[in-house]
Amino acid sequence: MEALVRQGVDTIFGYPGGVVLPLYDEMLNWPQVKHVLVRHEQCAAHMADGYARATGRVGVCLATSGPGATNLVTGIATAIMDSIPMVAITGNVNSAAIGKDAFQETDIQGITIPITKHNYLVTDVNDLPRVLEEAFFLANTGRKGPVLVDIPKDVFIAMTDAPFPDKVERRGYKLAGAPPVEQVDVVAKLIAEAKKPVIIAGAGVIWSRSWESLRELAEKAQIPVINSLLGLGSFPRDHELSLGMMGMHGEAAGTLAVQEADLVMGIGMRFDDRLTGNTNAFAENAKIVHFDLDPSEIGKTVRPVAWVEGDLAESLKMLVPKVAEKRHDEWVAQVKKWQNEYPLVVPTGKFLSRTVLNSLNQHAGAHAIFSTDVGQHQMWTAQFIKFTQPYHFLSSGGLGTMGYGFPAAIGAKFAHPDKEVWAIVGDGGFQMTLQELQTAVEYEVNVKICLLNNGYLGMVRQWQELFYDNRYSSVEMGSPNFGKLADAYGLKYFQCSRVEDLEETLKQASAHDGPVLCEFVVEMEENVFPMVPAGKSNSNVIMDPALTNGEDYNAVHASWETGHGRRVPGAESEHTSDDVYASGTVTK
Amino acid sequence: MSDVKLPTHSHAISALVQNETGTINRLVSMFRRRGISLASFNAGDCEQPGYSRLTITVNGDDSVLGQTIKQMEKLIDVVECQDLAPDDRVMREVALVSYYPSQISREAVLAVASEYEAKIEHDTENCLVLQYTGPVRLVEKYLEAMQTFPVREIVRSGPCVLKVSDQ
Repeated sequence: MEALVRQGVDTIFGYPGGVVLPLYDEMLNWPQVKHVLVRHEQCAAHMADGYARATGRVGVCLATSGPGATNLVTGIATAIMDSIPMVAITGNVNSAAIGKDAFQETDIQGITIPITKHNYLVTDVNDLPRVLEEAFFLANTGRKGPVLVDIPKDVFIAMTDAPFPDKVERRGYKLAGAPPVEQVDVVAKLIAEAKKPVIIAGAGVIWSRSWESLRELAEKAQIPVINSLLGLGSFPRDHELSLGMMGMHGEAAGTLAVQEADLVMGIGMRFDDRLTGNTNAFAENAKIVHFDLDPSEIGKTVRPVAWVEGDLAESLKMLVPKVAEKRHDEWVAQVKKWQNEYPLVVPTGKFLSRTVLNSLNQHAGAHAIFSTDVGQHQMWTAQFIKFTQPYHFLSSGGLGTMGYGFPAAIGAKFAHPDKEVWAIVGDGGFQMTLQELQTAVEYEVNVKICLLNNGYLGMVRQWQELFYDNRYSSVEMGSPNFGKLADAYGLKYFQCSRVEDLEETLKQASAHDGPVLCEFVVEMEENVFPMVPAGKSNSNVIMDPALTNGEDYNAVHASWETGHGRRVPGAESEHTSDDVYASGTVTK
Repeated sequence: MSDVKLPTHSHAISALVQNETGTINRLVSMFRRRGISLASFNAGDCEQPGYSRLTITVNGDDSVLGQTIKQMEKLIDVVECQDLAPDDRVMREVALVSYYPSQISREAVLAVASEYEAKIEHDTENCLVLQYTGPVRLVEKYLEAMQTFPVREIVRSGPCVLKVSDQ
């Protein structure tokens, strides 16, 4: 407990059990650390993760041995994939019983080796102060990530006078500092030469707190900025150079811009397959430049011509003064033309997930924290919520963990009691972790749940529709009566299934002082567009059929033009090719 | 005898690691997870208490090698690691071969063994064990020659590599 307090930990998320009894007993002596009792250990990890993503600080979770520890696994794997600082503490059976298949014994160290930045089994209490200090240091420095500390029951009970180290030193762990100046010079020169540059900014910009430098760079050389999914918030969406997310379900302008660009600068991102599409056809006309803290990311999926290894906080600061002021008016005009030609659309006359999220953006997009599960609603959130600040978008990007959104929102709300926090979930994901409704009610956690209920596992259904000939297999999702469920748990519930009620529902949900479950009964079969089919080139982006099939829609243009979401009833697109959808190819 | 070159697609990596619970597990797990195939893996104590020096040989092209080194360096336990080119290293492997003496011509086996300066390590009525230490390529040639006789068992240590430096 002393170690936690030393680290400034104010909240831990956990679940007790036999071998962690000594720790839970000791906890009563440390009232400055709040323990949140969850209803499933997976959610303790997700809450710690949500707490970390919303603050930039280390999230802490705690579980007992055996099943308690294994239940953390999905949450830890979620954190490693997105480089989230987390310390997971698990109890284990007495040291003497380890390896003897004792009751509730599991080799959690062995299990979590591939999904932790580092992990420990502490068998000597004299090591404990050093190990805990190291665990927090490792989790929260360099490329961040989860660290697990497994502590046998007898070690919890034993006393030690071993001091906490003043400084953590590991010969095998060196923090990246400033990059070599030559690497930065090369990039500055490439920027000077470029005619059609773009930046793809990832979560590294957020975790290194470099968003100011990014903005300076973009403005100084007039470079459009695209975000990876987790990079949303690193560059304000209401900035005129912001193109939003690119990739499989990114906005078309960004995806097309990268295909057309002559310089693509990946900054604090990892050229993930959902972003690049087929890497052989990715940014074919461009020189690729990569900034990353982790040298193993450089050249892992795409081949950059130049790279800058090191802490973005240093490297971007070094780069900005070396870049000359520059205009790319023609290029930016071209990019904006794509934005106008292929806007995000919300077809009218139906009650769609997009209708809800577009409205939620207008209602709370500028100030609230949003978490999501995984699937269609996650992509629509990334598209329609116009994030302007870092630490406001919590989503499992790498692992794609359903059930993440609701507990992550609870974790974020504990970190930011004064902020409005929305969990955007689908009927599938919500049913994976809805037992935490009790946690929310018990602790009076004022989270707003936006449940988009379409009765399907929407993304899977969309793939079955598009790539498996409409052969729907195990994607219909029955649900309980959510109103009765909310009653049973004792929280406020709204149901909304009409556009007319939407604004009032959101208003009342926000105003209510306490957790709220808002169920939006939306159109069952709605697809996410644009879409780049898995493994295809980004040039094969499939546009929203509503743009060409004569359907009425509201176009949601870039927010820099009109404020949040301009409505253009029934606007005609300039793009007239009827076969956009069928052929899946856009001719530029 | 001078060291020999491995085939171009095989690399010998030398690494210094801090010994903790799970260190070897963590390394091997990384190789398995990233689909890097290990040709050999060797670990033992070294001159620094609490640390081990490893020799790992992997097959693959330069990009596989580059990723392997970077992923190893990322592990907290790994203090240093490098791919050692033939000129920068001494690399040796031990091979033990045993025979049922009754099934072989002792003179013929020992004649081949002596060509390689292999040593007799165990010699009883039912078991003859020969030990040879040398560069990998010669270990392979040696074993080929020794297998012209009916072998009982063979074991190889996998290569051990040490960096040489005149500085």
